[in-house]
Amino acid sequence: MANAFVAAFEILSFGAIIVLIVLGLGIIASMMGIFNFAQGEFVLLGAYITYLAYSHGLPIWAGMVAAPFLVGALGFALEGLIIRRFYAAPIVAMLGTYALGLIIRESVRGLIGGFYLTVPEPIGGSIDIGTMHISTWRFIIIVITLLVMGACYLLLSRTSFGLRVRATLENPALARASGISTPLIYGVTFAFGAALAGLAGALIVPVFSLFADLGIRFLIQGFVAVMVGGVGSFIGPVAGAGVIGTLSAALPWVMAPVIADVLVFVLAIAFIKFRPQGLIAGKGV
Amino acid sequence: MLKSMSVVREAIDADVGDEPDGAMAESEARQAASGRKVLPIVEGLVLLAALIAPLVLQDYLTVFATRVIILALFALSFDLVWGYAGIMSFGQALFFGSAGYGVALLARDLDITNIFLVLPAGTIIGLTFALLLGGFLLLGRHPSSVIFVALGTLTGSYAADRLARGWYYLGGQNGIPSISPMTLGSYEFSEGPVFYYLTLGILVVAYLLCRFLVRSQFGLALAGLRENEQRIAFFGYKAQHLKAIVFAVGGTIAGLAGSLYAFHEGFVWPNMVGVVVSTQVVLYVLFGGSGTLIGAVIGTVIIEGVSFWLSDNYRDIWPIILGVLLLFVILFRPLGLISFVLGERERVGSFGAKPKETEKEKRNAAS
Repeated sequence: MANAFVAAFEILSFGAIIVLIVLGLGIIASMMGIFNFAQGEFVLLGAYITYLAYSHGLPIWAGMVAAPFLVGALGFALEGLIIRRFYAAPIVAMLGTYALGLIIRESVRGLIGGFYLTVPEPIGGSIDIGTMHISTWRFIIIVITLLVMGACYLLLSRTSFGLRVRATLENPALARASGISTPLIYGVTFAFGAALAGLAGALIVPVFSLFADLGIRFLIQGFVAVMVGGVGSFIGPVAGAGVIGTLSAALPWVMAPVIADVLVFVLAIAFIKFRPQGLIAGKGV
Repeated sequence: MLKSMSVVREAIDADVGDEPDGAMAESEARQAASGRKVLPIVEGLVLLAALIAPLVLQDYLTVFATRVIILALFALSFDLVWGYAGIMSFGQALFFGSAGYGVALLARDLDITNIFLVLPAGTIIGLTFALLLGGFLLLGRHPSSVIFVALGTLTGSYAADRLARGWYYLGGQNGIPSISPMTLGSYEFSEGPVFYYLTLGILVVAYLLCRFLVRSQFGLALAGLRENEQRIAFFGYKAQHLKAIVFAVGGTIAGLAGSLYAFHEGFVWPNMVGVVVSTQVVLYVLFGGSGTLIGAVIGTVIIEGVSFWLSDNYRDIWPIILGVLLLFVILFRPLGLISFVLGERERVGSFGAKPKETEKEKRNAAS
């Protein structure tokens, strides 16, 4: 019983981490039609900023608060300078963002070297329920993921900004004709997606420690999750991330980890092949 | 069939003619004025340089040059798939690496190193994987989106990487070290000029085959596919089948390159099937110029050459420079370095047997 509970918590916590990482990726893919290969590096930057704050003696939570804003600002600048030119061709956008990601990743690698740098949890310890212990920080990640998810949903579905974003997604020409500045909306949406990645990086760095390939590790899982969930809506990628995250964490409990690892991808690709629109079809929130 | 071909030809001519690009129009005008073709000259120069390279290079550089030739063969396979059929195969290393692992296992477990057995074996492994993955991703009732194919190949490569890392039989993280050399009778192919000329010969043959393929009527259909897939489908071509065929040919060449690479380096390791090598080959081709076979070769030589040259002093910042260069190429020179000397019309080229002069060409010639 206790074991099952710990397993369930592990699975839930990993699922939450994947959802957190996919949120930004999904928003950019769904609302802008771009598969952003630099997203993993935005996660890495968020983690790096947190590490910087920690190594300079600042409180860790300060780094975690700063990370989304700094990464978001960088995302806004990159969108205006570079990404903007790629909207017409999705494949070129992949290659271009890959080049950006390469630049960011190798710069960070140059700064930290080939090391694994640890950042302690800002709130350590464990929560005890009877004889079972669960990590407080992982529990907090789950809570924050739920909060961020809810906030994003409300932002996109209930505010006038969300309405503009959705209008721009559905019909850019009509949105422009209605007086919406679509370039600005694209910029802000991209920055928002980048900021979410920065937040994800900042929150997970105590769990995974900081290394240059931190982002790459999650990028492909993230893409697969977005495709499984369905591009075009906010809920789709989140649902996909939930499924992929849960599967990747749950399967190793019942079979050899190597096989589980590969099986998740094979299942996901087969699923997308036969249901290209994903779990949740359609545009909107 | 022939009639529809000429329709395609005109459609492509029209598409090409529409592109108002200053630099290209200029170089085209220069070509038209001189009536000379640049492509054969570039190809000849590259071949000449490749032929004399081992004579002037030191031994350790010949070994390096052999590696570059093998990688160029690999780049050729990606160029065929992306530059000619418009399939973004982000997982080309899957075929390269699985063939490498395949021949490494043959050498390790069955002691088979005969060149006439291992190279065909590697080639067939590449072909098999490409048929399986390509058939799955590309064929089917509904055409797959380009994004799905790109991410599907990427995921395949990544999954293979994870499998190779985790599977003890394949050597795990360390891969399979010290593969015994390739043999022909009692002769052992070790690194050096002989291996160099062997790989160069294979590259030239593969290059000529690819050149024949993309300049044939089949290549014409591919060019149409790349320019406007829907139009080609309306002509009655099975666009998906064409793509799957090219994908399989690409996988075959990648498999050949992978088996050569395994024997040349003497070891295989998980990166060889993974995302690292998959994206590296994309860099080569984009940099050199996709859609021209020689562009892939030139891109490989330049990137590997500069990377080798810089490795002493600037190893850390080289990947950053590479990223910046790539970004610039994508933004400002989408057709790669080769487009500095090669006009758009010649890049698209002519197909099949030379057609009878049409009305349009007569008009062009007159004006």
